[in-house]
Amino acid sequence: MPVAGKNNHDWLGLKKELSPRRQLQLTVLSFVLPLAAWALVSYVPFLWHPLVRVTSAGDVDYFIEDMEVPRAQFEQENAKMRAQNMTPAEGMRVNPVYFPPPHAVARAFYTAFKTPPRLPNEPWLHESLGHSIRTICWGFVISSIFGVPLGVLCGTYRFFARLQEPFVEFFRYLPAPAFGALCVAILGIDDPPKIAIIFIGTFFQQVLVIANTVRKVDPALIEAAQTLGASRLKLLFKVIIPASITDIYTDMRILLGWAWTYLIVAEVVGTMSGITFFINQQARYRNFDNVYAAIAMIGIIGFSTDLFLAWLGTVMFPWKRRRASVLRKKRSWFPPLWPEAIAPVSDEEKPNMQADVAR
Amino acid sequence: MSLAELKLPDYREQLPEVAARFRRISQREVILRVDDLKKSFGANGSEHIVFNNVSLNIHRREFICVIGPSGCGKSTFIRIIAGLDECSGGTVLLDNHDVSGPGPDRGMVFQGYTLFPWLTVKRNVMFGLEMRGKSHVTAEAEARQWLDMVGLAKFEDLYPHELSGGMKQRVAIARALANEPRILIMDEPFAALDAQTRCQMQAYLLQIWKKVDVTILFITHDLDEAAYLADRILVMGSNPGRVVEFIENPVPRPRSAAQFISPEFLSLKKRLEELIHPPVETGEEEKLPMIKLTVAGDEVE
Ligand SMILES: Nc1ncnc2c1ncn2[C@@H]1O[C@H](COP(=O)(O)OP(=O)(O)O)[C@@H](O)[C@H]1O
Ligand SMILES: [Mg+2]
Repeated sequence: MPVAGKNNHDWLGLKKELSPRRQLQLTVLSFVLPLAAWALVSYVPFLWHPLVRVTSAGDVDYFIEDMEVPRAQFEQENAKMRAQNMTPAEGMRVNPVYFPPPHAVARAFYTAFKTPPRLPNEPWLHESLGHSIRTICWGFVISSIFGVPLGVLCGTYRFFARLQEPFVEFFRYLPAPAFGALCVAILGIDDPPKIAIIFIGTFFQQVLVIANTVRKVDPALIEAAQTLGASRLKLLFKVIIPASITDIYTDMRILLGWAWTYLIVAEVVGTMSGITFFINQQARYRNFDNVYAAIAMIGIIGFSTDLFLAWLGTVMFPWKRRRASVLRKKRSWFPPLWPEAIAPVSDEEKPNMQADVAR
Repeated sequence: MSLAELKLPDYREQLPEVAARFRRISQREVILRVDDLKKSFGANGSEHIVFNNVSLNIHRREFICVIGPSGCGKSTFIRIIAGLDECSGGTVLLDNHDVSGPGPDRGMVFQGYTLFPWLTVKRNVMFGLEMRGKSHVTAEAEARQWLDMVGLAKFEDLYPHELSGGMKQRVAIARALANEPRILIMDEPFAALDAQTRCQMQAYLLQIWKKVDVTILFITHDLDEAAYLADRILVMGSNPGRVVEFIENPVPRPRSAAQFISPEFLSLKKRLEELIHPPVETGEEEKLPMIKLTVAGDEVE
């Protein structure tokens, strides 16, 4: 058997890179599988479906049309009716309202944007989302303005590391939500306390993670630059920062993901706002399809932001691009969207954050 | 038949032209003067001496190779000269000035390629020039010349990860030379390359050295490499590190691979092998671990 042919069929090769085509297939499959499971449970009537929706009440006195009752109760009542020779109720098996089928959620994706809010002062979905994104951006940007330079300083100079890191390390253990009440007391009930929570949640991790990344710069590169006549300041700006910038960028992508987690906590501080408010409100109206659509929306925004940032990384850092041939003459400025961009953070470049931070 | 059994001339016998060359070299100015250099780690009580009593003079445009068993302090020695480590005693004078800290007058090529991965080949070579305050345009023009010299002009816009090992090391040489250092220090620069590329690189290096006014201090553990490249070979010993002998290479220049079987080459190599792998009394080496085992066993009983 030809070896090449064998390799072609080896889906489970240990540590073997799959072809881009196969990676694409698997990526699609990774979404299709859970969707298929969801669809099965939703559309195959004998799978789960613990409730019965009454279509005609028959002679059961407290049943009314469209009422949903547990299956056992429905059977019990019907058994009673049959025993007394009365008309049994009719109904069909359904899932609970908090488990909408895929098509309802898919429809909600569209209708949620189209449906005006019930009360005039409530925000539309897109307004809620916009609000959330604004909050997270402010929190993350303010955190980065201070956190990135401080992290770089701590990673570069022992002096700053000793001066800052013990405190930062301590503060990191204080859960950001614990500051909620304090933030409201100081900053009021609108957006500032929410931004502050995201800041607190991000900033301290950011300093430590970035300091660690900067510390990992190959000392041989620094020595090489020194023998080429680089002064101290030049070392920082021309060697240490460029040498770690791609890893810092990866760290930032991961930290932005963490910031989304803090968003949900931050939005219940003070007056509830943004996507959290929308989700809460829809749950109260029992529009669970909208709830799922909104939750999925967060995932989609987070995931596509990360994809975009990954792609942007390949534009900004061309030396990280894997190119097929050494001697390829023609080079496109525009990097391929596939497959580098799709890998949110590939295994080798994903730092083990928790371990890093703990060190 | 081993080299030791061959009947060869003494490695100190030199052809008239070789002797004349060494006389000429010794009349040139001294570039690097190392005097009683010592390096140790740890405090006085538990001091670990890496090497001591290292003294030598290197003349302008000489090609010096340093060989010695691994761990004898070769890298430490040249790192001190480069200013990357500090010595524990003695002096290093470059052009009669004390060296303190790294500087562009001492170029360095490391075994790992240490090219800046975020810069293209051309920008890598321009790095030192820009550090010294040359304008972008001047630096670019000069970098192109140096890349021409190492034969990589075509690849100036590639990134280091797109080059082969040998090409990377040529860029590293060009980058170091672009600063026009007084002395080029190389720490086993070709050790990571495959044999064929290494031979090519050695020939390249000799060509470059002919064209450029630079003194080279080259560390290797490959005796053939040392004999092929060097004017003089500094042989170091270990425990503690020290200079065993500073040998004048009797192989005439220009060098070629054909000389690998010439009597001068073989006699030099024989001498180097004697110094690096001193003959051991047979039996003694093998017995040693056996004794240890018995002793350990006795203690257990
Ligand atoms: N930071 C250090 N602390 C203690 N000993 C060291 C240190 N750096 C190097 N050494 C010792 O110096 C010796 C020489 O190392 P090195 O110069 O790398 O040898 P070579 O390059 O000849 O193989 C080694 O035996 C090593 O143990
Ligand atoms: Mg070494």
